Amino acid sequence: MNASIIGQMAVSGALMGLVYALIAYGFQLTYATSKSINFGQGELVMVSAFFSLTLTNLGFSYWFMVPGGLLFGALLGLVVERAGVRLALEQKSEGWILLTIIIGLFFFSAAENIWGRDDRPFPTPISADPIHFLGVDVTRLELAVAVGVLGIMGLIELFKRRTLLGKAFEAVSADRDAAELMGISATRTVMLSYGLSGAVAALAGILVSPITTVGPTMASAIILKAFSVAVVAGLDSGFGVVLIGMFLGALESLSSYYLGSGWREAPGLILLILALAVRPTGVFGKAIIRKV
Amino acid sequence: MKRILLLRGAELLVFAFLATIPLLVVNPYALGLLTLLAIYGILLIGLDVTVGYLGQVNLAHVAFLGLGAYAAGLAVTKFGLGMGPALLAAMAVGLVLGGLLALPALRLEGPQFALATLSFAALCTTALNELEALTGGAQGLSLSRPPILGHVLTPPLFYWLCMALLALVWMLMRNLLASQWGRAFEALRDSPIATDAMGVGTYQHKVAAFALGSALGGLAGGLYAFNFQYLQPQSFTYDLMIILLLGVVLGGRKSLWGAFVGASVIVLLPNLLSNRLLFQVFSGLGFAGALAAGLRGLVKKTTRPFQALAPGIAMGLLVVGGFFVENTEDWRKAIFAIMLFSVVVGLPEGLMGFLSTFLAKLFRVPHAPLPEPSDIETILPPRAADGSPLLVLEDLKRHFGGVKAVDGLSMIIKSGTIHGLIGPNGSGKSTVVNVISGLYTPTSGRILLRGVPLSSGSLYRVSKSGVARTFQNLQLFGELTTLENVMVALRGVYRSPLPLVLLGLARLEERKAQADALCLLERIGLRDQALIKAKDLTYGAQRFLEVARALARKPDLLILDEPAAGLAHPDVVQLIEIIKRVHKRGISILLIEHHMDVVSELCDIVTVLDGGKVIAEGSPDEVKRHPKVVEAYLGQPTQAENPQPETPRGAEPLPA
Repeated sequence: MNASIIGQMAVSGALMGLVYALIAYGFQLTYATSKSINFGQGELVMVSAFFSLTLTNLGFSYWFMVPGGLLFGALLGLVVERAGVRLALEQKSEGWILLTIIIGLFFFSAAENIWGRDDRPFPTPISADPIHFLGVDVTRLELAVAVGVLGIMGLIELFKRRTLLGKAFEAVSADRDAAELMGISATRTVMLSYGLSGAVAALAGILVSPITTVGPTMASAIILKAFSVAVVAGLDSGFGVVLIGMFLGALESLSSYYLGSGWREAPGLILLILALAVRPTGVFGKAIIRKV
Repeated sequence: MKRILLLRGAELLVFAFLATIPLLVVNPYALGLLTLLAIYGILLIGLDVTVGYLGQVNLAHVAFLGLGAYAAGLAVTKFGLGMGPALLAAMAVGLVLGGLLALPALRLEGPQFALATLSFAALCTTALNELEALTGGAQGLSLSRPPILGHVLTPPLFYWLCMALLALVWMLMRNLLASQWGRAFEALRDSPIATDAMGVGTYQHKVAAFALGSALGGLAGGLYAFNFQYLQPQSFTYDLMIILLLGVVLGGRKSLWGAFVGASVIVLLPNLLSNRLLFQVFSGLGFAGALAAGLRGLVKKTTRPFQALAPGIAMGLLVVGGFFVENTEDWRKAIFAIMLFSVVVGLPEGLMGFLSTFLAKLFRVPHAPLPEPSDIETILPPRAADGSPLLVLEDLKRHFGGVKAVDGLSMIIKSGTIHGLIGPNGSGKSTVVNVISGLYTPTSGRILLRGVPLSSGSLYRVSKSGVARTFQNLQLFGELTTLENVMVALRGVYRSPLPLVLLGLARLEERKAQADALCLLERIGLRDQALIKAKDLTYGAQRFLEVARALARKPDLLILDEPAAGLAHPDVVQLIEIIKRVHKRGISILLIEHHMDVVSELCDIVTVLDGGKVIAEGSPDEVKRHPKVVEAYLGQPTQAENPQPETPRGAEPLPA
């Protein structure tokens, strides 16, 4: 086995893993404020990608299409929050798990009927030509994924640290009740987190579509791995998801090479179950002290 | 008697009717649907164990259906087994793999559990697809029904087999759920911590419940294989899982009838979707129902506006959509989604949950009569109180990071005493209780019960060794009745092995448990409220119930964690009376309390904590005058002359 091929597979796998990391980061955003995540996030990725494709087909330029797609994703995120999460949180029940699954199913069915069941190419001005870099080939598309993922995560982290709204976000994450007493509306902060999470999902869709094509099932495999990344890394470490995302991406790329492409999802799934068994709060997660 | 007649009568009637259908109607299509109904019935009863009783969203059930189906299929095609052994193999696969998945997965709650089960299901689909040598992969696996006793099962015979199995599963589950097992399942959903602390073992019961549900999934899978006689991995995917969840939620959780209704809905759905007129009629009815219920809720102000309006809007979408969409089959998933959404939001109890309250009122089904309470002498025989050391803490420490919550605590609780533990807020009292009762593992130090080291870090094991506790923040099993709350905790009554329980042969023991629990309720004055749900009791009654439940453990040492917190004065008087009565039976008590009058009246000896260390010990009067105690509560004594005294530490009542 040639070392350079291993290196090549690991690097392209890791870059793909950044997409999982980005979606997992979206889970962290909502988990921080509301201890809930959208189980239909994969459908958000897919529907936003379809919407962006439609924008492109209508003649909008790439750089106009991207913010349009993000906005649409944010809107969908707000819909999920309103219809699926808020009531369950008010009742302190876990009904949101079922409700977000249901809303995802609805989006899926709608996409199937509006845009059709076929996979379609996603045009992009970024070329797919490889760049030779330290003995491995990296395409500009893959680099764009890395830049986009790290860029938006950096922006959101800056927003959380530097702006008043961002600090409100952090306050609700740290202690919802105390934040409410300080005059911060927890409901609006949760809405904000779902909006941001939806936008992040949309960006993931836009970045990954040129590589995978767009279709109703485009996200069903990706989302499983994003779940794995989020749980293995822990639902409260942004740094952790990047690291675990890249690791998992490389791992699956190698395992699909050695075991056959049908098994490419297996390592992530096994890793997830094992990680949960050994460290339920995730590798980078904080331990929880039970109180009575 | 009337109750038995009504409940059992309804079951008998339905099953008798279902059994005679093949004799009356010769319609292969209808028979096929009914066979599926039986199979899905078994499947949903299994799913209801996790989704209903454990209250966890389980996304792996479809995988157990698939695994069971393939296990039965392979047992027949590769190993030449008969139908009976093949079905047993399918069940065993569900049981074992379910147990294996549950061991890690059930250490998790809520979303993480759902994700773990989702991953398991995806992994199973991958394995079924990729292990081509065994399963045939995407090509599928064909099999035929092996003959039983020389007879090949015709469709009616196979239907009877499925129905008989459903009836058997139904009966066994009914017995199980009515026993201590069923109570434990419900208790651990309401409060896993208290379930452990009552010596029931949250984790063991969760794993057992999940494995049991999965075994039923496997059995249904085996029948599924013999029904269709052709298997494909694509049949057992996420889409089917969502339909199964729809069945359980729509039918009604925690109900055998609910599973049955849910199965009927699942079986009929495809027909509903393929017939346009039928679809429009049903969606119209659903819309009218949702709207009526929503408006009623709005007018009576029993539901939030969103909960009242959303199902109506969703069903309205269904009605409007029905006119515009060309082919309803194409929108199958969206239609499921809308129906599920309406049910989850508007009818969280499901159809049976809604109907059962209605029917119970209509037929006035009485509760089964309760037995006479047992004699207190048999439940809590008086024990010798000789003043020997019962519980000894030696240099106990518990640190949280840099916070030294308990920092080198040594104390001795003598047998037969009421030992008070007081101290200002943050002095480490609660941590001491949590360390002794096993919620926290001590950082260092020893705890000895009658000279034997107490297991550390396990509520369950500590509870088994004879230490019972109450909780400052009430940890009652809210959905269980007052009586059942005490029954869950009863020690030394439930001895029947599982097979007897399943066959319904443990009734005597159940009567005994009721009588014992009633006796304890009588002690705290709640006998006449035995059948009320714990969450509906008054606050004071809930506090007393905590004490009765802990007493059901028949403990040597009873730890009362601020039992008087938030109680009104008359209730405090009654509480003191209850504690005195408990003490008279020779039970030693560790009392954590802020009400100094309660402590003064009850305690033989009081230990005062501050900063995780003992600052004084002695009789209530002695510690009250102890300078260090005064200082701990009021601040520096020298500052008493100071015109601006320092604010007292903590916001607790002073020891007056």
